[in-house]
Formats: sequence, C-alpha cells, structure tokens
Amino acid sequence: MKSISQLTDFYYNKLYPELKILEEERKKIKKRIIKIGTLYLLFVALISFFLYKSFSLDILAFFLIFALAATKWLYTYLIKDYNIDFKHKIIAPLISHIDKTLNYTPTQHISSAAFNRSRLFATRPDRVSGNDYVKGTIDGIAIEFSDLLAEKKHRDSKGRESWETIFLGLFIVSEFPKHFHGETVVLPDSAQKIFGDLLGGWLQKNNGSRSELVKMDNIEFEKEFVVYSTDQIEARYILTPSMMEKLLAYKKKIQHPIYISFIGGNIYLAIEYNSDMFEASVFHSLLEYKIAMEYIQTLHLAVGIVEELKLNQKLWSKL
Amino acid sequence: MSTPLIIIIVLLIILVLMYNSLVAKKNQVDNIFASVDAQLKKRYDLIPNLVASVSKYMEHEKSILEEITKLRSEANKPNLSEKEKIDLDAKVSSALGSIMVAVENYPELKANENVMHLQRSLNEVEEQIAAARRAYNQAVTDYNNALEMIPTNFMASAMGYKPKDVFVITDEERKNLDVGELFNR
Repeated sequence: MKSISQLTDFYYNKLYPELKILEEERKKIKKRIIKIGTLYLLFVALISFFLYKSFSLDILAFFLIFALAATKWLYTYLIKDYNIDFKHKIIAPLISHIDKTLNYTPTQHISSAAFNRSRLFATRPDRVSGNDYVKGTIDGIAIEFSDLLAEKKHRDSKGRESWETIFLGLFIVSEFPKHFHGETVVLPDSAQKIFGDLLGGWLQKNNGSRSELVKMDNIEFEKEFVVYSTDQIEARYILTPSMMEKLLAYKKKIQHPIYISFIGGNIYLAIEYNSDMFEASVFHSLLEYKIAMEYIQTLHLAVGIVEELKLNQKLWSKL
Repeated sequence: MSTPLIIIIVLLIILVLMYNSLVAKKNQVDNIFASVDAQLKKRYDLIPNLVASVSKYMEHEKSILEEITKLRSEANKPNLSEKEKIDLDAKVSSALGSIMVAVENYPELKANENVMHLQRSLNEVEEQIAAARRAYNQAVTDYNNALEMIPTNFMASAMGYKPKDVFVITDEERKNLDVGELFNR
C-alpha cells in the first residue's frame, strides 16, 4: 500500500491543477457565505425582535429552532456543488491512487443492516445515514467503509420529535482471516476509567446488554478496552497477544474512541470522529498542510487496517 | 420482623451467594479445562501421522521421535489428573517444537506435501491450544483469587477447595525460530 508521504506527494503534485481551480471556487463560496450569512442573520434578528415584541417567548423559541435548522440547510445548499466537485476531483483520485480496485461512491454508505449486525452499539438506530462509501479488496481481503451517522428517535410528552446520535464517524467492515462462530465485542473501557478497577470491573461484569466479560492477559489492553464474548476461548483465539498489540498500536494512531467486533467472519470497526469526514473545507485553504493531512490520514488509516492488523495473513500463511 | 432475624437472613443470603460464586468459579475452570483437553487430544491425534511421515528421513532425531511417541501414549492413559495433563502438555509442546525445527534441516521434508499439511494443522491446533490455555489460566486465577481473598477464603477452606495450577507458557514457545542456531548444529 502507498505510504502517507507518497499520498501527500500525489495530493500536492498530481492533484495541484484541480486543487488550484477548487481553491478559487472555495474563496468565492466563502465570500458568498459570509455575505448571505450576514443578511440572513440580520433577517432572523429582525423577525426575532418583532416576535419578541408582539408574541410570547414560546413562539420566539420555536422560530429560533426553525431558523437554526434553516441555517444548516442553507449552508449545505450553498456549498453543495463545490463539495460534489471536491469529492469527484480530489477524494476519488486519492482513493484510486491508494488502490485501483477500490470503488468510491460519494452518496452511498454502509448499510444499516451491517451496522446492526456489528452489535457495537446496544441501542438500535431508527435512522442511519452517511456518505463517502468505499468498497474493494486489499491483498485479497474484502473491505468497505463509509461515513456513518446512526440516530435514535425520541418523542417527549408533547409529541415533539428529537434525534439522539448513537454514532457518528467512520465505519469499517472487513473480512477476518480466522474461522469463528461466536460474537466477540471490544469496546473502549469507560467504566474502569471513571469508576476505578473495583467498581468499574463490577459494572462491566454486570452489563446486562452484553454477553460474558472476558478478562484479557495484556494489562495495557485491559486498560484501554473491555471485551465481551459468547465464548471465552474463541475470544482469545481471535485476540492473540500479537493482535492485542496491533489493536493498541492502531488505537494510538487514531486517537479517537474505537469500537471493534468480530462477528460472522468479519471484523467491524467504528471510529468515533464525531464529525463527517471527507467534506470539502470552506473556511481553510485546501492547500493547507493540516487540511490535506486530515483527508490523507483518515483514508490511510481506514484502508490500512488490512495491513496494520495483518488481516491479509490467511490462516496458513505462516508457512 | 425482629432485628436479629433480619441479620440472620442477610447473613444467610451472603453465605449462599459466596457459596454459589465459588461453585461457579470452580465449574468455569472445569469447563474450560474440558476444552483445553479436547484441543490437546486433537494435537495428540496428529502425532502418529507426523512421526510416520518424518521418521523415514530423520536419522539423527530418532530419540525425539521415540520420546514424543512415548509421551503420547502416556497422555492417552485414562484417569490423568489436571496437573499431570498440564505437565505432559508442556513436554509435548517442547518436543514438537524441536521436531519442527529439525524438519527445516531436511529439504525433502520441507517440500513434502503431507508434512506441510501436518505442519499447518499443527499450527492451527497450537493457536487453538494457546487460546484455550490463556482462557484456562484466567479462570484458574479467578478461582485461586477467590480461594485466597477475604471473605470467600473461609468458605472455600470449609468446602475443601484447593488452589489449582496454571499452564506455564514457556520461553521456548514465545521465542521465534532462531535461524542462526539451525546452522550451528
């Protein structure tokens, strides 16, 4: 696989003409957003003032919630064409440069069925959305990933709808090279961190929504993660000492909470970035190193799991 | 209800909980040992095949081959205690390790499809055994902890529970093949 520096070279050299055009576009859009945004804000302020003077606070609050939603819609509308251009001209070539076999569809996402199958989150989502779907094979291992937003619907006593975020980030599904039958889930260890070993350990053991707690024999791994499985032995067959080291190293690179599960011959990884990745930057230059690295690194980490976790070493490849 | 009665009931409940948790821990150990045993048996079943395939070529390693055959027949004896099985496993692991190292010295063997297949099967079984051993060690650690910690230790000694042995993961198993050493022999 291409290294990060190779990809950075590709970004700044091969994609430079496109970047230059997009950068002009970005500056125009930024100006337009500031202009329209100011007008819009004035308009909202005016109406708010009028509502406040002549009606109750309730109506004002209702209007403001509406205005907020409209702001988001307006912003998305304004950057829509620019964003589509960006994905086609920058993200798509970047992905095919990593590996020719990778297929990129900007508007699709990992299916909600796959999200539910992963059992990473105890709450079942009512709505799953996302974009930037990538599918392909790396070293003979099938892999797919996309941005994903999973939400649950709530209704309060007045019948008002609200959506709670279950997960927002990058969701990766890949083949796993070992045969197994049970379900093993590796989650960030929040209980032990907040409540300490004794109480946290007790809470983990008595987690009703999960299967049996598996205590692992790697102290650092135990500190970072908590493992639940339907099979004590199988969990250790999957999480060998070297696999635990690799997952720890991968976690350190990512620096975001990471949820992992091994179910039905697949490995599922959910990386909680809490933002939509691979979106065109509007207020920062596309030529800025930091912005470029964000796109490149995220892609590299997602595609890199095959190499990083040695998923390409099939069962017998040791010989 | 009078206070003494409540205290007695609470104490009884605590005793029952302690008793149950000890039994559960002991059964967990037995359970996982059964899986370890099954995996070990799988490996023992591979040994005759392996010995038959390599003995034609291996002139200098006759003693290891004889030893491993002996170990296997010992392991097949009925009524072995857990401790005996654990000790035998350690010996078999090291003997198998030296056979595998020796195979590297014989190009005919390395290229032999039958031997290659056996090696793969052994590798797979070894991985399963390693996982089962680690699960067993964790279960035994939980069990032994309960036997030594207050307040379950009183209960455990009253029930006549004895601490159990864990599998020792030898350095030889952790070590990777040292290619340099192969040439020095």
